Amino acid sequence: MSELLQVRRVAKTFDAREGQVVALRSIDLTVLKGEFVSIVGPSGCGKSTLLQIIAGLVPASSGEVLLEGRAVVAPPEGVVYLFQQYSRSLMPWLTVEKNVQFGLQNAAPERCAHFLDMVGLADFRARYPWELSGGMQQRVAIARALAAEPRVLLLDEPFSSVDALTRLDLNGLIMDLWTRTGITILLVTHDVEEAVYLSDRVALLTRRPAEVAQVFPNALPRPRSPVDSREDSRFLALRHELLTRLLQPA
Amino acid sequence: MTGRLKALAPGLAFIAFWIAALEIAARAGWVNRVFSPYPSEIAARMGQVLGSPAFLEALGSTVGLLAAGYLLACAAGILLGLAMGYHRPTYTLFEPTLELLRPIPKPALLPPLILLLGLGAAMKIAIIFLGALFPVLINTIQGARTVDPVLVDVARTFRRGSLRTVFQVILPASLPLILAGMRVSLGLGLILVILSEMLTGSDGLGAKLVDAQRAFRVQEMYAWTVVLAALGLALALSFDALERRLIFWSSKR
Repeated sequence: MSELLQVRRVAKTFDAREGQVVALRSIDLTVLKGEFVSIVGPSGCGKSTLLQIIAGLVPASSGEVLLEGRAVVAPPEGVVYLFQQYSRSLMPWLTVEKNVQFGLQNAAPERCAHFLDMVGLADFRARYPWELSGGMQQRVAIARALAAEPRVLLLDEPFSSVDALTRLDLNGLIMDLWTRTGITILLVTHDVEEAVYLSDRVALLTRRPAEVAQVFPNALPRPRSPVDSREDSRFLALRHELLTRLLQPA
Repeated sequence: MTGRLKALAPGLAFIAFWIAALEIAARAGWVNRVFSPYPSEIAARMGQVLGSPAFLEALGSTVGLLAAGYLLACAAGILLGLAMGYHRPTYTLFEPTLELLRPIPKPALLPPLILLLGLGAAMKIAIIFLGALFPVLINTIQGARTVDPVLVDVARTFRRGSLRTVFQVILPASLPLILAGMRVSLGLGLILVILSEMLTGSDGLGAKLVDAQRAFRVQEMYAWTVVLAALGLALALSFDALERRLIFWSSKR
């Protein structure tokens, strides 16, 4: 498999009242084409900032992000960032269908219907986002992201504000979509189980200023099932390792 | 509808009480009937005024001037406001001028405008435009600058260009504030059209009002005042209806 995304010595410094704050010291990470990689780390370590830099939404202070060898300076074609705040990322004045159409470069109603169908919302296309539950709103956001037909999908804690069962349900949906479309997914999460369940590899970040502490390969076989895979010894071993490292005192 | 009528009933009764009180006060001779005619007399004169060809002509003239000045002001205010709210250099360029012109009480501009543009429609449209421009403009700038950054980033990650971002995201997201500004502007526009008509005394409802007062046709003067009140109410109610259609979503998030 070829290297799709390369993060090279990316650093980010913010200006704050108390002076400069180094959020990311130096991040190196490579993602292969078609891979599912998760980034986990302590809260406030700059995981989301890193993902926004990869998305071209925020400039890095130094270092570079390469997508297929080309430096990312603005949101590149084929890369879509899925926001944590689904309710704020959908447009309340547009119906579900029109929101999904926003992801399409040239609006075609039948393509819209196709993506709404993929996330199981075919019957809700004429509704408004605020008429739907949180989990359904996030499905709309996922459909909109898929409608743009990205090669790389960047997920920023996409399931952190839905209830536990909806979360498992959306995990299954993402895994299913990833398998069917063959896209590359980079997921930022604070949920170790989610990372282990979904990913091929898990990158563990250190506390701020963040660096990649270690990248763990995931031996958990595919296809994975939401209940049994979580009881697999390889799942438990990686979860154990990651949680131990995360909970280590500074 | 009956529920709404029920809710309105006490307020309407209050108004009816005052009209009745005025009628009684005038008939009892407690107020001078010449300056304060019976409401029933005014109502009768209203009928004559509404039936006269002069009424439709004056109404058409006033509403036409108001529409021209107001709609131009809304279009200019929204376009300039979006540019200033979204594009920092445009804001920096125009902001001092805006702060200089905004505090001028707009009627103070009537004398120079009369010198420059005469007493005709151009002057009246210009004064309505200037009065109505600032509330729309200020609110649009404010709206565009306070759009949720997440929505702007959504437009960026889907690689929408600036123009599409402005018209598909910033404009609709700012609409609640823009409409609030447009509501204020409509009131100011109405004030300024009537004021300019009163000052020039040629056509329109404002001219009819001062004509009647100067000729001492007091009942007719009150009749035109009531017509103006009704026009203001009709405009406000139409605006409410428009607003409900355009931002039905704004209280739902």
